[in-house]
Amino acid sequence: MTIARFTGNMLCALAGAWSRLWFQNSPTSPLELARMGIGAALLLHYVLATPFLFVFWGETGWMPSDLVLKDHDPWIQSVFFYFAAPWQGIAFHALFLLCCAGFMVGWRTSWVKWVVLIGQISYDYRNPVLPYGVDKIVASLLFIMCVAPIGRAMSLDRVRAVRATKLKNLEATLPPYSSPWAGACTRLMQIQMALLFFYSAISKLRGDDWWSGDAVWIVFTTGEHYNPLVLNVLASQYWLVNVATYGTILIEIAYPFLIWQRPTRPYLLAAAVFLHLQFAILMGLFYFSFVMVMGQMSFVRPEWLARLGEAWKRKVGEMEMIYDGKCGYCVRSMAWFLAFDGLQQISVRDFRRNPSAVVSDAKMEKALHLVLPDGRALPGFEAYRYCVLRVPGLWWQVPFFYIPVFSRLFGHAIYHWIAANRGRLSSLRLGPARAMLK
Amino acid sequence: MISKPWRERLTYSAMSAFVAWHTVAMAIAPAPDDGVAVQSLRVLFQPYLSLFRLDNLWDFFAPSVGKGSQLRYIIEDSAGEQHTFVPAENLSWYHPSYFWFRSWYYAIIETPETYVDSAAAIFCREHASLHPVAITLLGVEEGDFAPDDQLSGKHPMDPEFVTVNTLKRVKCPGS
Repeated sequence: MTIARFTGNMLCALAGAWSRLWFQNSPTSPLELARMGIGAALLLHYVLATPFLFVFWGETGWMPSDLVLKDHDPWIQSVFFYFAAPWQGIAFHALFLLCCAGFMVGWRTSWVKWVVLIGQISYDYRNPVLPYGVDKIVASLLFIMCVAPIGRAMSLDRVRAVRATKLKNLEATLPPYSSPWAGACTRLMQIQMALLFFYSAISKLRGDDWWSGDAVWIVFTTGEHYNPLVLNVLASQYWLVNVATYGTILIEIAYPFLIWQRPTRPYLLAAAVFLHLQFAILMGLFYFSFVMVMGQMSFVRPEWLARLGEAWKRKVGEMEMIYDGKCGYCVRSMAWFLAFDGLQQISVRDFRRNPSAVVSDAKMEKALHLVLPDGRALPGFEAYRYCVLRVPGLWWQVPFFYIPVFSRLFGHAIYHWIAANRGRLSSLRLGPARAMLK
Repeated sequence: MISKPWRERLTYSAMSAFVAWHTVAMAIAPAPDDGVAVQSLRVLFQPYLSLFRLDNLWDFFAPSVGKGSQLRYIIEDSAGEQHTFVPAENLSWYHPSYFWFRSWYYAIIETPETYVDSAAAIFCREHASLHPVAITLLGVEEGDFAPDDQLSGKHPMDPEFVTVNTLKRVKCPGS
């Protein structure tokens, strides 16, 4: 009886520890940061690959598929093995690029992420000579992101979900997504990064170049990473070579052990980011370094991001957008606009139901207004212009709103035209907004 | 119809099984193959590792950094004149093709029997305006280069630091 109870208690404790290790209710924000960064890097990388599509991955290039398919492992698959005509490769490449863009912005993430993974694996396996470290890292991280519930934050999918809620009630909020599975997938990515550092350090410890402290010198003397400026500095101050060589191993060996602890994590993250910045600047490994830094995002604590968001909100101050609740077009526009306000910095007021003490109804008939923390009220285009710089979800609009002269020249005209014709625009398509107006 | 508590238990078990499976896969992929345990696990995991492209060693610049190499080729034109080219010299650090082309050049140097003929055909086509008759591909192996060499103004690709190997001489198609 005692042994049975002891065993039972032990199993319960183990199950509890297992749950705490893997299945803590977590938001997806660290994975979303990695998604956006890796998506952007992939998009740029493969857009630049477009002129070389047939040279590297086509039948007319230097790696015909029969060369790859010789002694072929059936588990190694690429969609390119099944394309018979060049247009099929072009079509897939175009689809892949669109999906990379979708992955970056979090549009239909639940399926585009799989196309991105299949594409990445397909390019790698179609020409196995080309991939180097970064391609392997990208595939490993993409796989984890594919099984993870990504796209639930910092994404257009989230914007669409918030907009749908706002269309029913502009003041309604959609609670942030979190789940035990998101916690498990974040943990998987953390383990992947820790293992990567661990094996990278272990393999270096097996080499004489690293033990002797000369490895960094040898790297910079090879044609691939030759950098005369760096070599001159290193040659005259050779101790820097030893510091850089041993420092690299030290960071790589410390990372998998010290990244887990709360007090040491920020230092290890900073060290890893610093290391990869050096790789980018001195060795030209921009893509590799950027992807590695994005992998580190899995170790960014969600509470750090929450604190950062709160600090930003405090710095900017609260803003109140006053709109015309009887105008369907205005309500739909507000729903779109507010859907990008992930930090909920902007509160709303329908002047028809709840008149403002700051802006008169007569002014409100002409344009919406934004009331700032200091009591000033900005009308129409200026209101939007003020917001896009201060709401992180709207930063992508900054180029449109801040082109010197042109933005204001055309922006005011477009806004006034829309405001003057909002009645007509409202009748075009009311949809769910009609319910709100009733 | 499965009841809600059982559905939750099944989901939890499936999630647990997956994270355990994937963690083992991530751990054994780069592990040295000299242990019996790793070898037997590898047999089980290999299809999964291959299919999802997870079979990686994470051995960047290790165990040894290794010496670099450079591909050169000499085109003989119809007048008997020779033109030497170093294709990597035209590549930009800031473009991903830098690494793709270099990988291709390494592949030609390391396994000439596989890639030399197709590379020769491509280079001959590229220099059609020279009316090439034949092309000779060369692999240049980099040697040791000391800090004093750098300080005395030398370059790692200077003749005293490299070994030049002829990979193959190929007649240009249509010549």
